[in-house]
Amino acid sequence: MYKANENMQSEEYSLIKQCVDGDGEVYAILVERYQEMVYNIAYRMLGDAETARDISQESFISAYEALENFKNSSKFSTWLCSIVMNKCRDYLRCKKVDISIDDVRESLFSTMPDPEGSMYQKQLGRTLQKAIGALPEDYRQVIVLKHIEGFDYKEMESILGVSANALKVRTCRAREMLKKFLLETRGTDG
Amino acid sequence: MGKMDKERQLIHELLDGELSPEERREFLDRMNSDPLLKREFDDLRSIVNMVETGERLIVPPLFTSQVMRRLPAPNVSFRKRVSSFFFGVRVLRWNMATALATLCLVVIATGALLQMQKKGDIVSDQSSLEKATRTVTISFHAPQAEKVSLAGDFNKWSAEKGLMKKESNGIWTLEVPLQPGTYHYMFVVDGEAWVSDPHAESYRDDGFGNKNSVLRVSL
Repeated sequence: MYKANENMQSEEYSLIKQCVDGDGEVYAILVERYQEMVYNIAYRMLGDAETARDISQESFISAYEALENFKNSSKFSTWLCSIVMNKCRDYLRCKKVDISIDDVRESLFSTMPDPEGSMYQKQLGRTLQKAIGALPEDYRQVIVLKHIEGFDYKEMESILGVSANALKVRTCRAREMLKKFLLETRGTDG
Repeated sequence: MGKMDKERQLIHELLDGELSPEERREFLDRMNSDPLLKREFDDLRSIVNMVETGERLIVPPLFTSQVMRRLPAPNVSFRKRVSSFFFGVRVLRWNMATALATLCLVVIATGALLQMQKKGDIVSDQSSLEKATRTVTISFHAPQAEKVSLAGDFNKWSAEKGLMKKESNGIWTLEVPLQPGTYHYMFVVDGEAWVSDPHAESYRDDGFGNKNSVLRVSL
């Protein structure tokens, strides 16, 4: 994940001010900087690359439209993440996407036997994505933010609007559930 | 909270790096003596590792430009628009095709400018020639004559165009504006007699048995 240091942060504040003042072209710099993070969050939350692209582009557009409301007391990256998370939540509620543990199991059954091979790694990645996708949405959010994007609990608090302590508990449960999914499927496979 | 729950909580705190060095040491010792607890920790750690080191997706091409195209037009005042037009920093995007097209335009424009400059030089040469036109006074002594004309290749040998003016001393004069070059001429006395200039620099046969006077005008 791209992490902005203090200098970057003040540069980002100045870019945001330029955008608000009407020079929208400089927004491209922020899009370039955070597109990888936003796209991967959307993909992990939604499980489909094409939908992830659409949702992450919409997130950038929504963020641009709301730049006037951005407060310099927060980081642009965490503010942007909260927008992506909301977009993903809206999409999932609208589509009622549901991945069951059986999907994860089926995916693991088809894993190639060669653990060093690239096919195996790809299949493992797909299985992992299915397991993440099978988590309840709240749990998926914390796994994506904590373990895929590397945010700390304080940053997650400002992204999700939930206290850090509650998020710690939620992360523990999410890890346990993920472990259960993956070990169960492995057990069935073996 | 049961013993297992308490231990699970410690496993998660260890994974999050939230145990103090002393708590950490104590918990690791306990895991070493409890294979079940160790298995629990190892399973969880391997799952977390798998998630953290999972392959990241590469952003599709043209992502940024697609976002930028869909951005709404900014709602800014006229003053700000003018100020941004003149002083706003711009992000220049380019690719090899546009760079080559620009290079071609620059080469063509430079060639055209050089051509125009050459043409300008020719025109300017011509205009300097025009500027170099000199007035030459031609005179002919003929006190008895009633009328004398100057005819030459500079006035298409017209006896009417080059009427000379008689001075009191019997000398006929005419001022002729001429550009640098060589000219042939003769005097026409009383409209009939074609006479060469006795003071000409040189002469040249006119093909009819007479000699044209030769005049050279230099810069």
